[in-house]
Amino acid sequence: MTRQASPGEQWLVETLERRQAGLDDLEARAADALGWLAVERQATSLLRHLSTWTASAWYEAVAPELARHQAHLEEKLRRAATELSAFDAVTLASAQRRLGARLALMGKGGAGKTVITSTLARLLGRRGHPVLAVDLDSNPGLAISLGLPPTDAGLPSEAVRQHAGASYGWALAEGLRPADVVDRWATPGPDNVRFLGLGKIGGLDKAHTRRSIGALLYVLLNFDDPGWHVIADMEAGPSTPFERYHAFADDVIVVVGPAWRSAMTARRLLPMVGDGRRTRIVANRCGDEPDHPGLSPAVRIPFDPAVAEAERRGLSPLDACPDSPTIAAIEQLAELFLDQEVPA
Amino acid sequence: MKIAVTGKGGAGKSTISGALARHLARMGHDVVAIDADPNPNLGISLGVDRHLVETMRPILNSLLDAGHTHNDPTPPADDLLANYGIDAPGGVRLVATGKIERPSGSCLCCGSHNTTRQFFGDLPAADRVVLADLEAGLGDLVWARPGPQDVVLAVTEGSAKSVEIARRACRLAEEMGVTRIIGVANRAISDADVARISGELGVETLSVPEDPAIEKADQQGVAAFDADPTSPAIVAVGELAHRLMSSSAGST
Repeated sequence: MTRQASPGEQWLVETLERRQAGLDDLEARAADALGWLAVERQATSLLRHLSTWTASAWYEAVAPELARHQAHLEEKLRRAATELSAFDAVTLASAQRRLGARLALMGKGGAGKTVITSTLARLLGRRGHPVLAVDLDSNPGLAISLGLPPTDAGLPSEAVRQHAGASYGWALAEGLRPADVVDRWATPGPDNVRFLGLGKIGGLDKAHTRRSIGALLYVLLNFDDPGWHVIADMEAGPSTPFERYHAFADDVIVVVGPAWRSAMTARRLLPMVGDGRRTRIVANRCGDEPDHPGLSPAVRIPFDPAVAEAERRGLSPLDACPDSPTIAAIEQLAELFLDQEVPA
Repeated sequence: MKIAVTGKGGAGKSTISGALARHLARMGHDVVAIDADPNPNLGISLGVDRHLVETMRPILNSLLDAGHTHNDPTPPADDLLANYGIDAPGGVRLVATGKIERPSGSCLCCGSHNTTRQFFGDLPAADRVVLADLEAGLGDLVWARPGPQDVVLAVTEGSAKSVEIARRACRLAEEMGVTRIIGVANRAISDADVARISGELGVETLSVPEDPAIEKADQQGVAAFDADPTSPAIVAVGELAHRLMSSSAGST
């Protein structure tokens, strides 16, 4: 009665097993409150992601494996809760503060996602945590705004391999751990930031992007070092939220500009964020206009012609106009990610 | 004539497309405006009521609503236009190809991109202008596959990132065999800005000036073509419309 598992289903089971091994390893290394918080967060994140497949009829041939994986993750979560309950409130709070954010930014094109992502990454990096900044947009941008040379670089050939069931037929190479990828191939940028790109559209098809994307999303989901902030700039509009590129994120920022269509886009994006994530609206390029109805912003970032000029010249706003009120507002935004709890 | 409008997010594709469609219609052309963005919003710049823009059903969504599956043959493009298009002001017929409404495990290629390709490719354009406002970035240009007889407008504003995407769009269009590729330096603040952009793009480039009237209309969710028809940006798009049609009649 049960049909044979498809290549996609077989691939999913393989992936789940590898993720499980990664989590087992994280658990084995957990020696303090921060370590157990990392286990708790990673198990929560993987459970949240697992629900994508358990809810889909496309994966019913491997339903028993999914159920086994779910039970294992729930067990990990219980273990982490037990371990964490042994720490006093002060120790826990201190560990919470050291746990890096997992953040994705979405919004309409031109709303200012990239300026905010790059500046936020650098400001968080200045506070001491290393930051992994990932450009999930197949059009270049984040590297420039970080103050790096424009780059098309995706993961190199040795970081990926072909696999029939994987996303677009490509996956992370055998034996590579997400931390290895960051260590070897994330470009060092200013302020403790490391940059990874998607690889851009090279020719008449999306071959370049497609070779990297599965591997890069895997890295995002499974890079579990608790001391790092991970922050990703998503492609404009609803296409990549639709494909759940933000699956790794505990926090989502929807950037909205003053235009009515930007607010309409935000209204369309909000239902795509998914359960179990904190979502904030950030209003960008603000003048003296009122907030969009129903989209109350956590932070309002004022428009500054100096930032537009930095953009024209292809410079990082943080280098070109460090005293801009735009930067000051993004400082406020950074504060929100320096002291917060993991979503339940 | 078929025109594909491409560029980075925020470059002003929809603003240019909407005003261009209205100008062409006013010049007496039969104009079909295709909103190929999975976040459809072209209607606003065409002068369609913003709430109707927010709720209108694109082709793909309408077909799925009606129980259409992958295996059913796609109806002829003109039938889709008649059934799922809406009449925008000025005699423009607006149709959206597909809208993303919820996350899914499946990929988009089978949906909105394919609809864009089929629709842009199949819609007869001998006696009319078919203008497609594409999704941000280069992906949709690949899907729409404009050919040698089509026009590609690469829209950019002044930022280095936006210019770089437009430059890539020009090269990609050349690779596809498109012979009429026109750059649009949108929100231009100076002649030097336009010269820089034109040099980067390496194609004939027209400019549309930075214009507070556009910003104001955008904030209100209305078309600048209606709200402020004599504003500099709208007038400049009118010149673009004349340029497109005059050179298409000539030998170029």
